[in-house]
Amino acid sequence: MSALRQIAFTLNGRAVTADVAPHHTLVEVLQEQFALYGARESCAQGLCGCCTAIVDGRAVSGCLYLAAFADGADVVTIEGLADRNHLDPVQEAFISCNAFQCGFCTSGFILMTRQLLEQNPDPTDDEIRHYLSGNLCRCGTYPDIINAVHAAAATLHKE
Amino acid sequence: MSTRVDPQPITEDRPTVQIGRSIPRLESLEKVTGETEYIHHLRLPHMLYGKIFRSSVAHGRILKLDTRAARELPGVAAVITGADVCALIPEPYYGPAFHDQPVLAIDKVRYVGEPVAVALSEDPHLAEHAANLIEAEYEELPAVFDEVEAAAATDTFVHDALKPAGTFPDLKHLQGRTKTNVALDFSLRHNDAERGFEQADYIFEHVFRTPAAIHAAMEPIVAVGEPRGSSAVTIHTSSQSPSFVRTEVARLLGWPENHVRVRTAFLGGGFGAKLYIKLEALVAVLALLVKRPVKIALTMEEQFYTITKHATTVRMKSGVTKAGKVVARRCEAWWNGGAYADIGPRVTQKSGFTAAGPYDIENVSLDSYAVYTNLPPAGAFRGFGIPQLVWAYESHTDIIARELELDPLEFRRANILRNGRPQATGTIMRDTATVEVLDTLERAMDWKAPRDPGDGNVRRGRGVAIGFKACIAPTTSVAIVNIYGDGSCAVYCGTVDMGQGSDTAMAQIAAEVLGLDPRAISVIHPDTDVTPYDMATLGSRSTFHMGNAVRLAALDAREKLFIMAGKALGCDPGLLSAAGGCVRAPDGRQLSVGEVIKSGFLMQAGNLIGSGSFRPTYTSPSHGDGQSSDITPFWMVGAVGADVEVDMETGHVRVTRLVSVADVGTVINPAIVTRQLNGGAVMQLGLTMSEALRFDHGQVTNASLADYKIPGILDVPAEIFAEAAPGCQHSGPFGAKGAGETGTFAVSPAIANAIHDATGVRIYDLPLTPEVVYRALRAAQHNPLENEL
Amino acid sequence: MTPFELQEPDTLAEAITLLDPDDPAVRPLAGATALMLMMKAGLFQPTRLVSLRRLDDGLRHIFIDERGELHLGALATLSDIERSALVAEHAPAVTQACHTLSNVRVRNVATLGGHLAHGDPHMDLPPLLLALGARARAVGPHGERWIDAADLFVGYYQTSLERDELLSEIVIPSPEPDTHATYVKFTALSADDWPAVGVAAAARHRDGVIVDAKLAVSAATERPTRLPAVEAALRGATVCADTIESAAEAAARSVEPLADLRGSSAYKREMIRVHVRRALVTVTRS
Ligand SMILES: Cc1cc2nc3c(=O)[nH]c(=O)nc-3n(C[C@H](O)[C@H](O)[C@H](O)COP(=O)(O)OP(=O)(O)OC[C@H]3O[C@@H](n4cnc5c(N)ncnc54)[C@H](O)[C@@H]3O)c2cc1C
Ligand code: FES
Ligand code: FES
Repeated sequence: MSALRQIAFTLNGRAVTADVAPHHTLVEVLQEQFALYGARESCAQGLCGCCTAIVDGRAVSGCLYLAAFADGADVVTIEGLADRNHLDPVQEAFISCNAFQCGFCTSGFILMTRQLLEQNPDPTDDEIRHYLSGNLCRCGTYPDIINAVHAAAATLHKE
Repeated sequence: MSTRVDPQPITEDRPTVQIGRSIPRLESLEKVTGETEYIHHLRLPHMLYGKIFRSSVAHGRILKLDTRAARELPGVAAVITGADVCALIPEPYYGPAFHDQPVLAIDKVRYVGEPVAVALSEDPHLAEHAANLIEAEYEELPAVFDEVEAAAATDTFVHDALKPAGTFPDLKHLQGRTKTNVALDFSLRHNDAERGFEQADYIFEHVFRTPAAIHAAMEPIVAVGEPRGSSAVTIHTSSQSPSFVRTEVARLLGWPENHVRVRTAFLGGGFGAKLYIKLEALVAVLALLVKRPVKIALTMEEQFYTITKHATTVRMKSGVTKAGKVVARRCEAWWNGGAYADIGPRVTQKSGFTAAGPYDIENVSLDSYAVYTNLPPAGAFRGFGIPQLVWAYESHTDIIARELELDPLEFRRANILRNGRPQATGTIMRDTATVEVLDTLERAMDWKAPRDPGDGNVRRGRGVAIGFKACIAPTTSVAIVNIYGDGSCAVYCGTVDMGQGSDTAMAQIAAEVLGLDPRAISVIHPDTDVTPYDMATLGSRSTFHMGNAVRLAALDAREKLFIMAGKALGCDPGLLSAAGGCVRAPDGRQLSVGEVIKSGFLMQAGNLIGSGSFRPTYTSPSHGDGQSSDITPFWMVGAVGADVEVDMETGHVRVTRLVSVADVGTVINPAIVTRQLNGGAVMQLGLTMSEALRFDHGQVTNASLADYKIPGILDVPAEIFAEAAPGCQHSGPFGAKGAGETGTFAVSPAIANAIHDATGVRIYDLPLTPEVVYRALRAAQHNPLENEL
Repeated sequence: MTPFELQEPDTLAEAITLLDPDDPAVRPLAGATALMLMMKAGLFQPTRLVSLRRLDDGLRHIFIDERGELHLGALATLSDIERSALVAEHAPAVTQACHTLSNVRVRNVATLGGHLAHGDPHMDLPPLLLALGARARAVGPHGERWIDAADLFVGYYQTSLERDELLSEIVIPSPEPDTHATYVKFTALSADDWPAVGVAAAARHRDGVIVDAKLAVSAATERPTRLPAVEAALRGATVCADTIESAAEAAARSVEPLADLRGSSAYKREMIRVHVRRALVTVTRS
C-alpha cells in the first residue's frame, strides 16, 4: 500500500482534511471518508456524469479526478447545493418536470445544469443538449431534463 | 388476516380520487438531493471487497489455477475458488430454469469472462490488484457462438447434460438430455400453416437478426453478503427479485428460507439485468467462508460479462391473399442464450408464442429454440424477447404491405387481432386495445399528412410498427397494508422500485382505497424478513399483480378499520366510507384514522393489518401444439411512429420524431407512465441505432460505454412523445395494467420501415449503424462496398 | 488502480529532472483524464507520476504575440481554449472543434499538452493544428526545441517527444488574410462519440483560384496525417465541384484507414472522401 498524505480542502463550504493515497479518486474519497453518496461511480470513464463534483467552480468527473488534486480546492457536491427545506431552483425544476426515474444520474444532471445556467442563463435546446452531452441517463429521461433546464432558467430569471 | 386469491375485479362504484393523478414520485426529494439509498453505497463494518478473476477462454477445461501470488499479497484476506465453494455447497449450480450455472467455475469455463476466482481485501484496489495476479491454465475446447449453428451442432456442446430446475413441470422432460445445445424447443400449431400457404396468393419469406446487447443500468450490479453466525445470512442486493434470491440461495445452502434474508433499496435501473441470481449466491458463499461481510460491486465493464440481451435469428414466412389478408404465418426463432440458461427458456416460450404478431391469422406455426453458446449468458431484457420478435414480424409485415402497395397502417389495421378473437395460442383476446392503439397513433402522428421526401443528399421517410406481449403467468404477489397507532400507513410489498415509480403507484392504489393522501403513505422496500412474497419485478407485471394485491390488502385493512370505527361511531361498518384521511358515517360524523385506532386500542398503539394475495388463473400451453385457453392475465400493446432523415452519402440516420402509443389500461399516474413509455423508446432507440456487443472468439471487444454507445441527449429526437390509448383492463387494479416495457416493442421496425420509406432500402439486421445503412444503399445501387463488416 | 508515487514539482526544470528517459512507468501528468482511463483499464501501471499542475509559471497562457501568432500554454485546459475570445477570433475552427470534443467535465480539466502528448489518433485537435500549420515547443534536460505539429505524431499513440521532454506551448501562426479553416467530426455510433473520421481543412482562395490549402485526416488513420500531395494538387486549381471532388477522391485513396468498432476500412475510406469534400466546400465558400 502506498503512503497516505493529508490533503485539506473546502467541502460544501466547510474546511476539511482527508488522508488519501495518490491513486484514490475524488469520488471514492467523498464516499469513503465523508459519507457523501450523491456523486457515484457508474461508467468510471468520464462519460456519464454520475460522479460529477464541482471543483473550484468547474464541474469535473470525480471518477477521473485524483483526490490529491483536491488539495487546497473548493469542492461542492449535490449535498452542498441546498438543504431539504430550501431546494435550489434546478432541483425544484427537476421535480416539477419529472426529470428523473431511477435517479442514479440525477445529481450529475442537476450540477451540470447549475453550471450551464451560470454560464448561459437562457440556453437554447441545442445549447442544453451540447452542454449535457457528457451525461447519460439510461432511463431515457432526456426530454424532461431539457424541459427542467428551461423551467429552472425561467425561475432564476424571475429571482 | 384474510387473504384472497381472486382474479375477478372488485367493482368500485364511486369515482376515483387518486387514480389518474400525476403526483410527483414519493422519493422526489431524495433523488434531487443525492440522498437516495442504493445498495451501491452500502458499506458495513469489517467489510471486504471482492474482485472477480475471469476466464480468458470461451470454452476450456481448467488445468491449473494459481492463486498463490494473490494470496501472498499483503492486505489480501483470502482468495476463493470453485473448490472452496464446493466445500460449502456440494452442488453449487443455480438458475431459474436450469440449475446449470456454478457459483464459481468448476472444472470447466464456458465463456470469456466467466467468474473463476475471487480475491478479497478491505481495500478494493488491492483486491483488484490481487485478482490480476491470479493465473489459470486451460485446455481449450472447441466453442460455438452462432445460435443457428449451435442448435444444429453435432460435436460441440456447451453442457454435457441438461439440468432443468425442478420448479417448472413443463421442463421435466428435458432432464438429463445430452448431446444438444438446445435447452428448450417450444412449438405452437394453430390450424394448419401449410394448408394456409396453399390458399395464399403471395408468399413472403425473410430472415431477421438482432445482436447481443446489454442493459447498462447506471447503477452497476452490486451485492453485499453479511453472515449472521454460520447458519444465517443477509444479502443486500440491487436485485429485481428478492424473493427468488432467497428461495434459490436457501436451496443452495440447504437451509430453510427463513435463514436467508434478502433486502434491496432503490435500484439505479434494472431493465432485467438484476433478476434471478447474479452476484447473490457468490457474496453469500464468500461471506460464509470468510465470516465477514463481502461486497462485490461490478464495474460497468464487468456487466458486459454478466448478463446480456439474447441475440436472435428469426425466420418469418407469410401467405397473403390478393385482398391483403394474411392467412398463414410460420416463424422460427433461435435465441442465443449464451453459456448459462438464466431465464432464456422462459423467453423462448413466453415470448415465442407471440411471434406471429398482433394479427388475426387463421393458420400459424411457430418454433422457438433456446440455444446454449459459448458467449456471456443472456437473460431478461426490457421487453423479454418481444422487441426481437417485433423487429422480425413488423419488418416482414411492412415489406408485405409495401410490396402489395397497401398503406402500411391500413394493412395492419385490416389484419389486426381484435377483442373476442383467438390469439395463436387459442386464448381469446380481451380488454386489449389493439385497434385503439393504431387509431391513436394514426392521429398522433398525422399519418396521412403530406410529407417532404427530401432530395438528393437527405431523404426523409416515415414508418410505423406495432407489437404486443402477454404478461408472464402464473405468478403471485402478496402485500400487506399496515395502519399504525397514529393513523399513518405503510405498504409492505416486494416490488422493487428501479425507476418505474412503483412506490408511488402502490401508494396511490392504497390511498385510493383508504381515503388517504398517497404522499403520506410509506412504501417499505423489499426485505424478505419483512415484506411478503413477490415473484419478481419484471415483465411489466407489478402494477397488475402487486397493484391488485395492494388493493386487496388495503380493502382488508379498511374492513378492519370500519369495524373499529363502527364501534366508536355506533354505526354499521357497512355504511362507513373513507375519504380525506377520515372514516365517515352517513350522517356526516367522522373520525380521523388515528382517532379510530386510538378508540380501538385506547391509546396511540397497535396496528391494523390487511393483507392481500393475488394470483391470476392460467392454463399452461399443451406440449406440442402450444394451445391454451388462458395463456395470460392480460396483453400489452405498443405502437411507434418514426420520422427519419437519411444522409445518403454516409448512411447516417437521424430520427427526427418518435411517437409511442400504448395500451396500459387505466393510467394510475400519467406523468410516470409517459416517462416509462418515452424512456423505453429512448432505450430501444439505442438498441436500434448503435448498440451491439462485438465479439472476437467469444471475447467482448467493446465492453465499456466508450465503445458501446447508449443514446445520449444529442441522440434524442427533437420531437418525442408518448400517449396512452383508451383502454381498461377490467381485471387490473382500477383497470390498470403494465407499462414498463411497452415503449420498447415497436421502435426498431418503425425506424427501419421509415428508412425504407425514405430510401427504398430494407435492412434485416440490427443495429442500423451508418455503415450498415450505407452498405445497404450501395448494394441497392448495384455498387456494393468491398470487404465485410 | 494500482498504487504509485505522485510528485508535484513547482518548476518545469524540476519536473524534467523527475522524469526518467528510460523508464516507461514514469510519466508526466496534466489533467490526468487520458492517463486515468489507461490506468483504470490496467493498460498503464505507473510507478511515478509527475504532476504539472503546480508549476509556478502556470503554462496556462493564451496570448497573441507581436507577430500575430497565437500561443496556447500546454497546461491551458480545453475549456480555457474553448472560451477564449482570442482563440475564437484568431482560430475559430479550434473553438468550434472544442465544443464537440469529449464533454464539459473532461474539457474543464484536460489540457492541450495532454491532448497532444497522448498521441491518440482519435483526438480532435491534432488534425486541425496540422491544417493550421501549428508548432509545439518542447522542453527537455538539454533545453528546448520546436517541433512542427506534423512531426509530433509519429505513430499509433506515439509522439516524437522524449520521455523526459515536456510540451510547454503550442503556437498557431497568424493566418494569411481570407484563410478559412474547419474541422469535421464524423461519429458513427452515438452523437457524443469519439470521431470515426476527423477531417481538418484550411484554404485561401482569390478570384476563384485556390491559393493555398492544407488538409489533414485523423481517427481513421494510425496518426493524424497531412495530405501534401492533395494539397499540392489543390493549389492553383479553380474553386469548383470537380476540383473538390477529385481532391476528395485523392484524399480517400492516399490513406489506409484502420478498421475498428466504428467502421470497416472500406467504409472509413468512403467517409474520408465525403467529409474531405464537405470540409473543402466549407473552406472554399466565399
Ligand atoms: C470521456 C472522455 C471522452 C473523450 N472524448 C474525446 C473526443 O471526443 N475527442 C477528443 O479529441 N478527445 C476525447 N477525449 C480525450 C481527451 O481529449 C483527453 O483525455 C485529454 O485531452 C487529455 O488531456 P489531459 O491533460 O487530461 O492528459 P493526461 O491524461 O494528463 O496526459 C495524457 C498524456 O500526455 C502526457 N502529458 C500530459 N501533459 C504533458 C506535457 N505538457 N508534456 C508532455 N507530455 C504530457 C501524459 O504523460 C500522458 O501520456 C475524451 C476523454 C474522455 C475521458
Ligand atoms: S462515473 Fe464518472 S463520469 Fe461516469
Ligand atoms: S434516471 Fe435512471 S439513469 Fe437517469
